[in-house]
Amino acid sequence: MSTVSARFRPSGLLRMSQEQIVLMVVLALFVVFGVLLDGFLTTNNLLNLVRSVSSLGILGVAMAVVVIARGMDLSLVASMGVATAVAIQLMQTTASTPVALLVGLGVVMIMGLFNGFLIAFVEIPALFATLASGLLVYGLARTTVLNGLIAQLPGDRDFVSWLGQGAVLGVPVPILVFVAVALFAQWMLSRTRPGRFIYAHGDNAGAAALTGIPVRPFTTLEYMLSATIGFVGGLVVAGSVGGLNTQVIDGTLIYDVLLVVVVGGISLVGGRGSVLSVVAGTALIGVMLNGMTILNMNTHEQDIVKGLILLGALILDNRLHPRDEETVRQGD
Amino acid sequence: MSNAIADAVGGALESTGSALVEMSSVTKTYRGVHAIHEIDFDLVAGEVHALVGENGAGKSTLCKILAGAVQPSEGQLRICGSQVNFRRPHDALEHGIAMVYQETSLVPTMTAAQNIELGHEKLLTRFRSLNIGAQQLLQSMNFHVDPTAYVSTLGAAKKQMVEIARALRSQARIVIFDEPTASLTPEETLHLFDVIAELRAAGLGVIYVSHALEESLQIADRVTVLRDGERVATVDTARTNREEIIRYMVGRSLGSGPERTVPGTGAPARKRKVLEVENLILGNVVRNMSFSAYAGEVLGIAGLIGSGRTETAKIITGMLKRNRIHGGRVLLNGRPVRYRVPKQAIDDGIVYITEDRKLDGFFETMTVAENLYLGHLASRNGRRSWLLSRRKREQIAREWSHRLRIKAIDADAKVVELSGGNQQKLTVGKSLVQEPEVVIFDEPTRGVDVGAIEEIHQLIRQLADDGKAVIVISSYLPEVLTISDRILVTRFGRTVAEFSREEATQEKIMYAAIF
Repeated sequence: MSTVSARFRPSGLLRMSQEQIVLMVVLALFVVFGVLLDGFLTTNNLLNLVRSVSSLGILGVAMAVVVIARGMDLSLVASMGVATAVAIQLMQTTASTPVALLVGLGVVMIMGLFNGFLIAFVEIPALFATLASGLLVYGLARTTVLNGLIAQLPGDRDFVSWLGQGAVLGVPVPILVFVAVALFAQWMLSRTRPGRFIYAHGDNAGAAALTGIPVRPFTTLEYMLSATIGFVGGLVVAGSVGGLNTQVIDGTLIYDVLLVVVVGGISLVGGRGSVLSVVAGTALIGVMLNGMTILNMNTHEQDIVKGLILLGALILDNRLHPRDEETVRQGD
Repeated sequence: MSNAIADAVGGALESTGSALVEMSSVTKTYRGVHAIHEIDFDLVAGEVHALVGENGAGKSTLCKILAGAVQPSEGQLRICGSQVNFRRPHDALEHGIAMVYQETSLVPTMTAAQNIELGHEKLLTRFRSLNIGAQQLLQSMNFHVDPTAYVSTLGAAKKQMVEIARALRSQARIVIFDEPTASLTPEETLHLFDVIAELRAAGLGVIYVSHALEESLQIADRVTVLRDGERVATVDTARTNREEIIRYMVGRSLGSGPERTVPGTGAPARKRKVLEVENLILGNVVRNMSFSAYAGEVLGIAGLIGSGRTETAKIITGMLKRNRIHGGRVLLNGRPVRYRVPKQAIDDGIVYITEDRKLDGFFETMTVAENLYLGHLASRNGRRSWLLSRRKREQIAREWSHRLRIKAIDADAKVVELSGGNQQKLTVGKSLVQEPEVVIFDEPTRGVDVGAIEEIHQLIRQLADDGKAVIVISSYLPEVLTISDRILVTRFGRTVAEFSREEATQEKIMYAAIF
């Protein structure tokens, strides 16, 4: 056997990473929309575009953390929505803003702990565990603590409003929050020991355990971190529209989040991709959504486009990272 | 009785003695490595032909080729005189070749009758006629299996009977048994032998693959011995004995011991006892394992696949849990330990190096350097810092790539681009970075090129000379003999023999490993 065999190296277009391919597509779309669509290349529209996808991007980063570890969190939008609504409802009373935020943080922490427990210790597949826990937390919240469908943000809570509507030196705060969250996550994933462990866990959970990584506690930490980042995204949403409509939990937002993550090149196989992938995915979806809105497409037509893009991304993912690498074994 | 079998399989059969299978110069290579090499094999109607050989001798590959599951690279296969070219298992089945797997190929959620009928269903099936047909077939072979029972509720022996019935239902003329007695009790084994004798009397050809030599000699008319993918001998059982077969299997005549390529440190004085395993028990896989490992010594563990060696290692390092009550004891430096996860064992200085590096050995998305560094990060030392250090990573990569002679274009090469030998060295390195006191190797040179085998052996020797307690689990006898100071033989989850380096020979080990 030769020292180096090149049989795993894909050729041609596939040699590029998925982020690069996606960013090229974004660039192409940008040019096409800029030429064809009136009002696309205005400062106002572009700022609007970036602002509107910031919260999606933050949720994407949250999802990326667990997907890189070969997990999945379908309860992300539910825990984000419930925690944000609970925090806002507290703000409607005399509770101070930090206290309300801490309570919201507590909710997502418990949610992450619960998901991690189900997945790591009870050993339920992440997909189904989080599907069930999302239903559970929303139902529980609606029947007990939450007063109505919509939690209206009181006008005097400047911090949350600033998160959604403020600007620093002309740059909208949601964008800054997205950048901050992305930078933090990227730093954590690439420069710290827990970050390495998350990649190792996603690459090969068996090898990770054998190498001495405490895989189960780590799984729990991953889901807690993911939910916490999601909560930040929820606050940005609440700030920008002045409240939170809990119906978002029943909506298709979770699919958009998955779309952003998978399109960008974070493989569902785990261990691959980075925050840059989320940025690329968010850029693509942002440009698409904006263009489709200007084109006056209704939500169902948009769903068709999103569905096709998601399918395309999954096929590409499958081609780039085949799930079952052919292992030829000798019998005895 | 033999008439019943003949009826069951449809009557018209070749006359006894005519050739059913003729294989000539059949070769199968996987990525340039011979699994079997130019094998001639034949089977005549009305005989039981046993295939014996050590682990990895090529028995399974030969059977898979016959059953159409694997395509030969070269050579010819003739069934009943006409040349065939099987592309899938279905082709083999159409030529009347049926393989009885250990117990794995039944659908557990279906009844025995449904399993027997599987693949032969008519468009509309009446349960009544299905069950009656299966009942008659089972009855004709004197199998007491309820055709309406779900397979998941049947014991190992009854599953085996259903397997056999299914093979005969498909009008098989050639039946291949792969390790049929592995999960049977002695009485069930005897019953199986009666059935095989009936198949033979009915004019079928039977190929019998087994680790258990005594069985093969008892049931077979002829025995073919394979070693390292080559046919060593085919002998009539009437004119041979156990000693001769074992000689064929290990490939050397009695007396000439193997050459030791790695210089040992001479007769090892009993050194400090590091690890002590007492009466370890896990279900019926590990039934009673006891041994000790000493600092500065290589302990080889020989035995057949499935004799509980890997499981023992996994219990010691916390990947499997031994029985809670009467599960035995593991003592590390005299202190009883019981690990829940490998992390705890690693913190105490015990590492296990996997037998299947692709499954749980290395991280394929990472580079050589990142893999080695991850081993460090997960160790007690590495856990002190939260931030990664590029300098530390490069230092570790340089040091260990050099010590293990990992040949990659550079430390940033991805692991999948390495050869098997270098991947194995990397997997070893990732564990050695953690500064262990006890190192357990499981099949350290499986799928490794020849040059790297030598280097890995030297590394193992070096570890022992550095004062570590080294345990090597290996199914390859020359390897065990070459590197071990002391050799332990396991059989059916028990340690059955122990040899010093001087007294060990391949024959003695095989004798102890096979019953």
